[in-house]
Amino acid sequence: MKLKSMSQRIRAWIARPGGVGIVSGIFMMLTLMILGLLVPLFGNRDDAFVGKPFAPPSFQYPFGLDQLGRDVFSRVFNAVGVDLGVAFLGVTIPLAIGTIVGIFLGLNRNKYFLSVIGSIIDGINAFPLLIIAIAALTYLGPGLKSVVIILSLTNWARYARISRTKAVVVTQQNYIEAAKTLGYPKWRIVLKHIAPNVSSETIAYALSDFILVITVVAGLSFLGLAARPPAAEWGSMIADGRNFIGNAWWIVIFPGIALCWAAVSLSFIVEGLSRRDRGV
Amino acid sequence: MQKGNQLTRKIIGRFLRAISVAFWVMVLSFVMIRVAPGDPASARLGPGAEKAAIEVLRKQLHLGGNPITQFFSYVNELIHGNLGVSLQDGVKVVDIINRTLPITIYLILLSTLCALIVSIPIGTYIGWSGKGSLVYGFRGLTAIFLATPNFFIAMVGILFFSVRHNWAPVFGYDNSFPQNLHYLWLPVAVNTIILSSVISRVLFSSVSETKDEEFVETGIIRGVGRRRFFWFYILKPSLAPTVVLLSYMMGTMLGATVILETVFSLPGIGRELVGAVLTSDYPVVQGILLYFGVITVLLSFIGDLIAYLLDRRVKI
Repeated sequence: MKLKSMSQRIRAWIARPGGVGIVSGIFMMLTLMILGLLVPLFGNRDDAFVGKPFAPPSFQYPFGLDQLGRDVFSRVFNAVGVDLGVAFLGVTIPLAIGTIVGIFLGLNRNKYFLSVIGSIIDGINAFPLLIIAIAALTYLGPGLKSVVIILSLTNWARYARISRTKAVVVTQQNYIEAAKTLGYPKWRIVLKHIAPNVSSETIAYALSDFILVITVVAGLSFLGLAARPPAAEWGSMIADGRNFIGNAWWIVIFPGIALCWAAVSLSFIVEGLSRRDRGV
Repeated sequence: MQKGNQLTRKIIGRFLRAISVAFWVMVLSFVMIRVAPGDPASARLGPGAEKAAIEVLRKQLHLGGNPITQFFSYVNELIHGNLGVSLQDGVKVVDIINRTLPITIYLILLSTLCALIVSIPIGTYIGWSGKGSLVYGFRGLTAIFLATPNFFIAMVGILFFSVRHNWAPVFGYDNSFPQNLHYLWLPVAVNTIILSSVISRVLFSSVSETKDEEFVETGIIRGVGRRRFFWFYILKPSLAPTVVLLSYMMGTMLGATVILETVFSLPGIGRELVGAVLTSDYPVVQGILLYFGVITVLLSFIGDLIAYLLDRRVKI
């Protein structure tokens, strides 16, 4: 009896706006993550030469072999951890920094300080993320670690802008006034009342930013500036197979599909959540 | 009179903000080379470099002296249009940019034009009709295009049009007009697909909002002519968000073309940037970064201005 009501509840939840998008997005993401977990454990090693180079997809090697005879299937799923992991760090660190900076700015009343910091934020945001990342890589040197550092140093500005706008709105709400009247200390008001309201906004942005960061990380690797061969990473695998696309399309196409799969699943989730939020 | 005054004041205010952002862009491109860990000069020359050579390079990069005087001499050089010379071959950075930037801008403008031609009818039609299945398909398809990195779309394009059919060259470029389209059509098509997905989505949602406004109903009741109705009552009030987005997207496209130019080996500014990054050619990176920043700031100023002129409800 209880089980049935549970499944009914789930069905009702899906039937609400955006439900299909959220569920299919989560399902796609989970599939990718589970394969990304299992394949490195049980499949071929990503750097092992298992057979004849350029062997086309077959029953034994579903995604074929690359120019060195490595199994594309296991390389694609070995890369899940790298790609999603780097993108995850590249989103959560700026999210935390930007939210805190934004709240701080939202509470600050010094006009000159605000206008200086505000135009620094605008200055960073003036550059497209990919451009500023490429430029900064000149000085830090190529590599995945530098990419995470650069994303943390630059991407916070976008979050800070959102967080500041929201913090200004929140501080004018009646419940903040009420909390002040009740004599709560300032840190408690910030931590318990302002931060949760602001972070809901920045976290929502973080989800869509995740898509952008995944493609930026893969794009940088494609240019040879982030992950470098022989590392298993989608962008660098695509760059690797580029020269052989005439006779071995599978080296390029399968990592590309994995990349799209990750980004599309996230974008379904984002789309579904925003439709649910708007109720259409 | 009062109204006109207010308008100019608003525009001047927005312009001043653009200038201040441009100033920070300049500071940023100045600071970046100086806050990098380690000494850029010795990093470029490698571990075994002689001390004298490092000193010469440091001088060439203007890294000596205190930061304040360095900054003023940097600004002074900038005002005189001097961005330094490439460490790779001694060519002036300004000349490199003048050679490569037109190709990139040409590529971006061409893609924008194509994207507008494609997306305005699609966005308006789907927003106006609001048919459930159509909207669903449209959203799904554009979501997939938007999530796909451009270099992968480009690779698929190359696979079909260059490898299978030999309709598009994989590399090379010709600067004269009709011939260059032969090299540019595939990159432009890739850009167009992505750009028109963004534009048509935004246009779609603003058209479906505009549709419910009261003045639209008034227009229908008054029996306004079909063409006039669609232009003045539907499209014009819906275009403001699209224009703002477009100016933002053109900035983002500078980043996107960096990758596309590498894929298609086009001699644009993006490929120059990647090459400079890989060879640690600091003056070139600094110069290109400055240009990109100023271009995006200007674009967003122009975009906000046009949006305001189209729809006075927009805040600038």
